[in-house]
Amino acid sequence: MDFTFTDDQLAFRDSVGSMLENEVTTASIRERWTGDSGENGDMLNMLNEMGMNSLLVPESCGGLGMDLVDFVLLADACGKAALPESIVEDAVVAGGLLSDLLASGQHTDQVQELLGGVAAGDIRVGCAHIINPYSNFAHRKDWMLLANGNDVHLVPKSDLKFTALKSVDPSRRLQKVDWAPSRKTRVAEGEVGAGLQRATLNRGALAAAAQLLGLAQAMVQQAVDYSATREQFGKAIGTNQAVKHLMADCAVQIEFAKPVVYRAAYTVGVAPQRADWAVSHAKTAAGSAAELSARNATQVHGAMGYTWECDLHIWVKRAWALAKEWGDAGFHKNRIHEWLLQPNALLGPEFTFGKRYIDHSDSAAA
Amino acid sequence: MKLTFSAEDEQFRQEVANWLANNLCGDFEPIRFRGGPGDEHSFVAERKAWEKKLAEGGWTAIGWPKEYGGRGCSIEQQVIFNEEYARAGGPGRMGHIGETLVGPTLIAYGTGEQKEKYLPGIRAGKDLWCQGYSEPSAGSDLANVKTKAQFDEASKQWLLNGQKVWTSLAHESQFCFVVARTDPASTGQKGLGFFLVDMDQPGVTIRPIPQLTGTAEFNEVFFDDAVCSAGDIVGAPGDGWRVAMALLGFERGVSTLGQQMLFQSELDDIVKIAKENGAANDPSIRQRLADAHIGLRIMRYNSMRMMSGGEDGSLQKEAMIYKLYWASWHRNLGKLAMDVLGPESELLTDAPYELNRLQSLFLFTRADTIYGGTNQIQRNLIAERALGMPREPRGTV
Ligand SMILES: Cc1cc2nc3c(=O)[nH]c(=O)nc-3n(C[C@H](O)[C@H](O)[C@H](O)COP(=O)(O)OP(=O)(O)OC[C@H]3O[C@@H](n4cnc5c(N)ncnc54)[C@H](O)[C@@H]3O)c2cc1C
Repeated sequence: MDFTFTDDQLAFRDSVGSMLENEVTTASIRERWTGDSGENGDMLNMLNEMGMNSLLVPESCGGLGMDLVDFVLLADACGKAALPESIVEDAVVAGGLLSDLLASGQHTDQVQELLGGVAAGDIRVGCAHIINPYSNFAHRKDWMLLANGNDVHLVPKSDLKFTALKSVDPSRRLQKVDWAPSRKTRVAEGEVGAGLQRATLNRGALAAAAQLLGLAQAMVQQAVDYSATREQFGKAIGTNQAVKHLMADCAVQIEFAKPVVYRAAYTVGVAPQRADWAVSHAKTAAGSAAELSARNATQVHGAMGYTWECDLHIWVKRAWALAKEWGDAGFHKNRIHEWLLQPNALLGPEFTFGKRYIDHSDSAAA
Repeated sequence: MKLTFSAEDEQFRQEVANWLANNLCGDFEPIRFRGGPGDEHSFVAERKAWEKKLAEGGWTAIGWPKEYGGRGCSIEQQVIFNEEYARAGGPGRMGHIGETLVGPTLIAYGTGEQKEKYLPGIRAGKDLWCQGYSEPSAGSDLANVKTKAQFDEASKQWLLNGQKVWTSLAHESQFCFVVARTDPASTGQKGLGFFLVDMDQPGVTIRPIPQLTGTAEFNEVFFDDAVCSAGDIVGAPGDGWRVAMALLGFERGVSTLGQQMLFQSELDDIVKIAKENGAANDPSIRQRLADAHIGLRIMRYNSMRMMSGGEDGSLQKEAMIYKLYWASWHRNLGKLAMDVLGPESELLTDAPYELNRLQSLFLFTRADTIYGGTNQIQRNLIAERALGMPREPRGTV
């Protein structure tokens, strides 16, 4: 039993984190809001140079062959920075699905080539899922992985039609994607396709959860800083117990959500047949920590936090969107109680962390 | 205790409903259900015209005594009016600050001259007012206002210098009531004055502040030798705090009735959408809808009880709990609305940043727990003033 990260994992997180801290200024985020593409090309290059694209790509395809436990801290760092680019979804969700396709032996040549292109930063692949009606930055991708019933399709940009939709978060560029499924584009079907889509949902929800953790921490930090400088009644507002408690409540939720998210990342890799409830727990815990942090951080800022000029809403609105993406709290809580209340639920201590937790596939997963 | 409406009251209800049916139509059709919190920027010209229409029908200031141009309606009748107004989809009132805050304050504390000068314009739906309390360094600590009012002996008028901030609808208002320091040597609640200031003058500069909703409902207001005639101070110089607090008392009074009807229509909207999009099948959503309904009822009964006394705007214990209760309830309603919408809650209705009604509700309710005294300040008031707990220490200014 060991919840700690390795020195390598922490070092990777630190270097990505400090790059983001330096490069993703709030001024540069606001620039993206008015830009055509909504992306910053230099940032995409830097992320690629740091290995973010290739992290989950198998070594056989020129990637780093790492796993979600390696990625979870990076996603947290991206959330902290409120990074607009969709690197986390691209790498974890699309990259993960491509790797799954390769492992399941479907359309190996084409998939291998794409993975190689992704790792090299030459090709961008995105992914949509039935649970999200719209896909962020889909129009910037060369290929999209799309679902049709149980089937999974891999569709080139030329066969896609995009309709841009506006998000409450100006950093997001949502697209409605219209396309026609054909045998030519189908890369998985039936049981296999359904399994892949389920794994995709779990990776998407996990990626969102990890970013929500980062968002929550950043919002609390901003409010804590503000509470030390803003004075009312002749003293810093942060000296008031009521203000301290607003922040302390967030810290408790955030810290208690962390191991849940880490555990989910681990479970997705090690015991994917049991990932549903672990991921649902993670998404719920991180989502509610982020929503509380958004609310309380705004409260601490007073009227200032209600302005467009104050940077806080960059994070607040991202949290709003991500808390609902890849399944909202209702969806994930339903998955948890369905699993919990099933007749043969595997609930004993041996299923918490014990060996059987890895060996057993429970009936909810069947 | 008598918890029913009389036959005359029901007749009054019919009269209100008929008038609204015959008048809130035609040119006014598009403004039905518009202009509420978070939507203040929409149909401003039409809603100003609507104020005048209401006034013509005798439906502004209905709670004011007849001698001041009001209708002298009982609390019951005001309740009924607000119910019918909401049912008909009456638009967000532009004149509510004048009608529900300034009017009652002047009636209670104003001079005969002030009443004559200002009440008719409010009553006619012509003069809109804004509230000049907050300043950059006077938010929760309202008594820390620094705007100065100096009496100029030569011109026999007050000269105002300083800055207000977060002033809602200043850009649409003819007048502003301003709390300013009449005694430059004073600090805190002493040495303040309560002024009635004409916004249309060279000494007043208004700058809109964009909000996170993408619109600008509030403003910065700068006074550079802004003038205010000698007769336009309410109460004596130094007595401003008392008047300012009395006005806030009226804020928790009758003006809450219209607000609750609006809450009801928001809740109805949410229930309707939940039924349509299937969210109502989710047990956790069902429970929260029930909670919202319960909370709104509690609020309603409590404010009826609250209004069964107190004409001078002084705060009673029951009144003190109200702001905290409704603001928290409304904030939860905003969250519920987003959860009912699910992933769709993220989509704007239009570019560049057009929020739908429920998104505006969600964001605006984040401000509900801030303006008019934050939740933290409300709790302090309840604890210290209603319960008499020891006061929290202040800093050294
Ligand atoms: C949408 C909107 C419209 C507004 N319209 C108007 C208007 O028309 N006219 C007008 O005059 N003002 C208006 N205001 C301003 C409003 O009254 C102030 O925002 C409010 O009084 C809080 O002040 P502040 O924003 O300076 O926050 P601050 O006072 O700086 O408070 C920041 C945080 O510290 C907390 N805090 C401060 N002191 C204490 C304490 N002693 N104990 C515990 N916690 C404390 C607060 O609760 C808050 O969480 C509006 C504000 C908003 C958001």
